[in-house]
Amino acid sequence: MRLKHMIAIIGVCYGIMAVLPIFVGDIRFVMNIMIMCLIWAVVASCWDLMMGFAGIFSFGQVAFFVMGAYCSGILAIEHSVPPVLAILMAGLFTAVMGVLVGLPCLKLAGPYIALVTFGVHMALQPVLRGKIGIAIGSGGSVGLLTIPPVSIFGYSFSSANIVPTFYLTLLLSLSCVLVIMFTIKSYWGVAFLALKDSQDFAMSLGISAFKYKLMVFALTSFLTGIIGAYYGHFYGVLSYRMLDLDLFSILMVMMLVGGLGHFPGSVFGAFLVVAGSELMAPLGAYRAVTMGALVVILVLALPNGMMGLFIGWRKRLSAG
Amino acid sequence: MLNVNNLNAYYGEAQVLHNVSVSVGRGQVVVMLGPNGHGKSTLLKAICGLAESVAGEISYQGQPIDHLSTDKLVNMGVAYIAENRELFPYMTVQENLKLGAYVKAARPHEKKNMAKVFSLFPRLKERRTQLASTMSGGEAKMLAVARGLMSNADFLCIDEPSLGLQPSLRLELFSTIKEINKQGKTIFLVEQNIPHIAELADKIYVMEEGCISFEGNSKEALGDKHLKEIFLGM
Amino acid sequence: MFSEDTILLFYEITDVIIAGLSTGSVYALMAVGMTLVYGVTKAFNFAYGDFFNMGGYFAWILIVGLGLEFGGYPVVLLIVMPLLFAVGYGLEKLLVAPLRKRKDWENKVMMMTLGLALFLTSLYMVVFGVRMKSLPPILEGTWEVGQLVFSYQDIMIFVMSISGILIFAWVLNNTRIGMAVRAVAQNPVGATIVGIPKERIFATTFAISTVMVGFGGILLSQKWFINPNSGGIIMVKAWVVTALGGMGSIRGGLYAAFIIGMLEAFVGWMFGMSYGIIALFVLLLATLVLRPQGLRGKGE
Repeated sequence: MRLKHMIAIIGVCYGIMAVLPIFVGDIRFVMNIMIMCLIWAVVASCWDLMMGFAGIFSFGQVAFFVMGAYCSGILAIEHSVPPVLAILMAGLFTAVMGVLVGLPCLKLAGPYIALVTFGVHMALQPVLRGKIGIAIGSGGSVGLLTIPPVSIFGYSFSSANIVPTFYLTLLLSLSCVLVIMFTIKSYWGVAFLALKDSQDFAMSLGISAFKYKLMVFALTSFLTGIIGAYYGHFYGVLSYRMLDLDLFSILMVMMLVGGLGHFPGSVFGAFLVVAGSELMAPLGAYRAVTMGALVVILVLALPNGMMGLFIGWRKRLSAG
Repeated sequence: MLNVNNLNAYYGEAQVLHNVSVSVGRGQVVVMLGPNGHGKSTLLKAICGLAESVAGEISYQGQPIDHLSTDKLVNMGVAYIAENRELFPYMTVQENLKLGAYVKAARPHEKKNMAKVFSLFPRLKERRTQLASTMSGGEAKMLAVARGLMSNADFLCIDEPSLGLQPSLRLELFSTIKEINKQGKTIFLVEQNIPHIAELADKIYVMEEGCISFEGNSKEALGDKHLKEIFLGM
Repeated sequence: MFSEDTILLFYEITDVIIAGLSTGSVYALMAVGMTLVYGVTKAFNFAYGDFFNMGGYFAWILIVGLGLEFGGYPVVLLIVMPLLFAVGYGLEKLLVAPLRKRKDWENKVMMMTLGLALFLTSLYMVVFGVRMKSLPPILEGTWEVGQLVFSYQDIMIFVMSISGILIFAWVLNNTRIGMAVRAVAQNPVGATIVGIPKERIFATTFAISTVMVGFGGILLSQKWFINPNSGGIIMVKAWVVTALGGMGSIRGGLYAAFIIGMLEAFVGWMFGMSYGIIALFVLLLATLVLRPQGLRGKGE
């Protein structure tokens, strides 16, 4: 997709978001959902950059999100670090973790990356819940309950000031998504496309797959950590239960609805799926079942997501 | 025995075969010559149900076979012997041969064919407990041909059997192929440009850029100026 | 000669070793199933651990849910194993086979099976509830040698999973279908050429691996509990064993399974059960850095 089109789609998505508070600004429930849309758009886009463009099959996206959230929360509660600084530190922490996870497995082929990252996800829960977690201040099975909201120059962006908080989220989310967009459109993005087409050819151009993949791993973990940390400060409470598999499947549905490798489809997918899953809340436990089934169905039936359908229609229109 | 009529084949967007028509009679050795990369192998693969997108008619003993899968074809008696052998590297020679007789039609004849194959290729008998991956290029080639024979097929498609073999082995292999033919098998062979092949063939086709550019017996082929130019550089 | 404490410690360690051996043998069974399906079909199944629980739940439905009285476990196995085979075969045909023709299909399969894992996990929770279920032991009682006490259950688990592996290895090496499976694993093109119906072999191996892991589930769920949420961890465990043993190596898988069974038992005994998975993870990373092809991998 051309840069022009990406900017247009992102512009429309965020533009609509930006004007919505005029109509629903006083309905807190709706505003909360919209903030979640913005946050998950970043997580889904990071994942898409990693899986769809860089070809790194990582299943650790939720784990890095939770790591960022916990890291910032612990810093703010236990060590009284100001939230803005804590969020940045959390981003750096997850970036380092990303590199540590990436180093051993990015050189290996096949399902190794997927499994190691999934293993990180699996191991994180007992760590946070167990004695190690309690020792570093994760709150064990209770979780973190009193994370302070972000405040800038004494102004507190809490859910009490929901509209300003919404716009702060919008700004943060938009900047992260733009960073991802420019990464895709930069030399890196081109290098990845080359690597996807032919690893050997790309190597002959001097493109080191390992180096680029590691850098993308670091970048996406950084952004995911930042947005996770922000989520913690907005939501105020964190629990290891976030690592249960339903959040994972919802995130996967976001990306599949948008279309893997069809950025900014992930933004669009996140907006749609977060809103949709709120509507499905009455389904209770059946929601997770539905989400899991949706993943299977989407992979089989909609390989390029809504974005793929959209591109297909346009091609047919211009051809006919 | 085999008739190919107006066959077109594609590789991605590119067309590899253009309206190719070939016929092979029972008991014949038919050789398809032509430069590398001009579609000879694709034709063989198309016949054996291994090519991806193919349009046209292929019939074997009067029955259309162009939509059959490879396992059905092998069961009907059409065997394919691949250019790069495609052996099972971590299995012994004997196991490779056994698997050659995997299809139902071949199972009752397994013992008989194994004996036949060992008498044709005594060297394989000596090495029957050796792993296929430890064999030399020539032996591996023999094993590939032998495995094809194990399927009890009447019609053998052999893709460049001489590729990568030294001249003496090449001659040996050709005389074995002739021997197989005498035992009643019909053979459709693809080769690049081997002078000796003309003596083996009942009929020669030449394929250039996906089209048949010559059809005739070996005498006619040897007399053809254009063929001499491309294959013998004369 | 020895103090009372030393002798007690000795018995305690023996218990840990026995526990390690019996869980290790089930891990070996699971790893063999995983290495088979990955070696043959090149598809990685993230729902593998949920088939472990599927075996457990099927057995639970029969024994506890329906209160099956006659025959006990032999009858249960006779019913559940063909059922698991059918489920595995059907799922491969329905969900994996259509993806095989796509570009980048290995990754698509991973995503699809992860979705399947999420689906099954949440389905178990809805159907059976979050409370864990338990199965009665396959054989009650103990065998005492002097002061040492072996439970028949541990012995049975060990014997049954090891004989499961041996039967599987025999089938793989000595039957026509076993040879066809090995042929597809070693050279799919070659297998097609000799007329092996590849698609059917793919589905069959997927089904066999489902049976193996489900069998493991029935065996181990008697010792542990059936936990609807545990599929992911079990899959990771099976994979750590496979990776340590070397993909494609049955013997390597056996060694690795017992190493990991022991490691888990000892770490659990010394520090508590929840550290088991962390220890596994550390071991895995060490393996990947030091010896990516595993203990006995063919590097294939």
